[in-house]
Amino acid sequence: MTRRRKAPSAVVDSPLDTRTQAKAKEDRRPSVVEGRLKTYEPGNNVGRFLDLLAGRISRPLAVSMTACVHCGLCAESCHYFLTHPDDPTMTPVWKADQVRKIFKRHVDWAGRIVPWWVKAGTLESDEDLNRLKNIVFGTCSACRRCTYNCPMGVDTGLLVRFARGLLTELGIVPEGVFNVSRDQWETGNQMAVSEDDYLETLAWMRDEVRTELGTDAVDIPVDKPDCDILYTINPREIKFDPRSIAHAAKIFHLAGASWTMPKWGWDQTNFGLFSGDDRLGAYVARNVYEAADRLRAKRIVISECGHGYRSTRWEGYTWADFEQTRPTESVVVTVKRYLDEGRIAVDPARNPQPVTFHDSCNIARSGDLIEEPRQVLRRVCADFREMHPNRRENFCCTGGGGLLSMAEYRPLRLEAAKIKADQLRATGATLVCTMCHNCVDGLNDVIKHYKLPMKVVQVLELVSGALAVPVRKD
Amino acid sequence: MSSLLRFFENELQIACLAFMAVVYAVRLLWIFRFKTRRDRTFPAGDERAGAGYSLMNIVMPGAMESTRKRPFFYAQFVVFHLGVAAAIVGTFIIPYSPGLFGRAAFVRLFQAVVGAAFAVGLIRLGRRLTNPVLRSVSSPDDYFSLVLLIVWFGTAVLALPNRPERGEGPLLAYFGLTAFFLAYVPFSKICHYLYYPFTRYYLGRSLGHRGALPPARKAKELA
Repeated sequence: MTRRRKAPSAVVDSPLDTRTQAKAKEDRRPSVVEGRLKTYEPGNNVGRFLDLLAGRISRPLAVSMTACVHCGLCAESCHYFLTHPDDPTMTPVWKADQVRKIFKRHVDWAGRIVPWWVKAGTLESDEDLNRLKNIVFGTCSACRRCTYNCPMGVDTGLLVRFARGLLTELGIVPEGVFNVSRDQWETGNQMAVSEDDYLETLAWMRDEVRTELGTDAVDIPVDKPDCDILYTINPREIKFDPRSIAHAAKIFHLAGASWTMPKWGWDQTNFGLFSGDDRLGAYVARNVYEAADRLRAKRIVISECGHGYRSTRWEGYTWADFEQTRPTESVVVTVKRYLDEGRIAVDPARNPQPVTFHDSCNIARSGDLIEEPRQVLRRVCADFREMHPNRRENFCCTGGGGLLSMAEYRPLRLEAAKIKADQLRATGATLVCTMCHNCVDGLNDVIKHYKLPMKVVQVLELVSGALAVPVRKD
Repeated sequence: MSSLLRFFENELQIACLAFMAVVYAVRLLWIFRFKTRRDRTFPAGDERAGAGYSLMNIVMPGAMESTRKRPFFYAQFVVFHLGVAAAIVGTFIIPYSPGLFGRAAFVRLFQAVVGAAFAVGLIRLGRRLTNPVLRSVSSPDDYFSLVLLIVWFGTAVLALPNRPERGEGPLLAYFGLTAFFLAYVPFSKICHYLYYPFTRYYLGRSLGHRGALPPARKAKELA
């Protein structure tokens, strides 16, 4: 009898790299010394994992663990499986089952008595935990496309985040996740931007807009109390894309907005969403909410960032046990309101190139903004065309779930990106617009890897380019 | 009718139903033991509308890409579950309202529905055995539950005419399997219908709060 060939597996076999963790301990980094950021310690990690699992399960999670009927309908909703159709380990159901089987074995009923009958299983060693790390961090961008396609309503995205959170508590995480979490714990922003860098960049952008508009009335106020808007950004804007701050400043100025940026609590991104660490999530979100309280801002406005929007608008308040008291919105919604109210005027002829729109997973599937960006784009672009599928059925840029910070999973991610590349190519557009900085980097990777004749832009860039200046006299 | 068949149709069913009810009650208590967190954000939509939409997903094949693109799969789902419902109803009609199966057309209708479910069950079993994705995740319980249902459908088709005088075998098998089901279901994947309202409610409530569900609602408001 010949042995059947084992199904190919694209699950990344990446060892646990603890070098930066060791360095952080050696350097006595405050986040590690104070125990906010956990590092890997050999020992009874399996036992700790199981204790955490049993203690942290919420009701929505518990029913997602028990309700799956293994119908397999989720498979073709996942870009990893669509690009690896011969590999069952790329399906959401298989990935979720790697967590589910542990739940069944240790928490659920039948699995505790007759584990083999329901395919319940346990973890034996740290190697098993590392393998689980590679599955939940490396083969899933937590885009929740499968969640929307599950007839039972099983939330695999939630389940994956939960497993990530347990592993983060044990320090069994990709190096990139550890590094970014450390920076966000210690500096309040995920790219370790210093206060000087932050303030200098804002001043630089203020001067740029002053030059462009020919007026010194333009300002990027910092820590100004009692403004209508507290504007929060992604650190990537300071480090790599400061023009996006200039676009916002230009629009706010022309709309006559009363706005400010905080000196502390300006980072609306939140790596806690990706690492599954609710404590980090609470800390970062609370920084923003407390900045708004401190400055008595009437509204928090979040720059274009998918996971930042989801974290600050939705998840953060719950993580931080912070009752929402003021509107919290995306800057795209703010701009749409300015357009509706006639506070800014635009000319779509100034953006003549064909533009398509990429929906960020965290905004479209885990948030509420679907039509707003389209309504803005239709007013500022002469040739707007939809990508298919779109809205809540759009495919991930493949950089979601924090994957951009995990170099070890990049080859698999780029293989899975073929779906996105095909989607982009079919539009015939030369510009792909997205309201997410993460997606900008993810899409740039796709465009470069698949040699697509496109450029990535954001909504504010197109609005800024279409502005009929000046529409309002101060 | 023999005393054994009478026992199978009555006391055994009631005892097994009572057992199932107790286990389900305990199961519900187990589910409620897990905590939920209150959403602290301003709503962008309607939680109840979201939950309602999510719960009605079962009758909206167009709502999900996965069923919209596979109408045959959805049709199988409908036929299979109608067969389950018909076979369950049959276990109540035979002992408590046998006159209903005195009409041949009524019996034929039930047999057609359950027979179609039997056929779908075979298709589903074939799919589970041949599809590598399903094979990779299927447990013995997945196979056993499906085979059990197929056999149960088969016995139901034979038993539904309710003619013990022509031989009690099909009726004994039908009611014997029903009793076994009632005791086994709470521990198997078949009790997914118990979880469906929970998964759908929590997902729909959360996405409804955010305005993501129902999908057309916000688009209409903004139009």
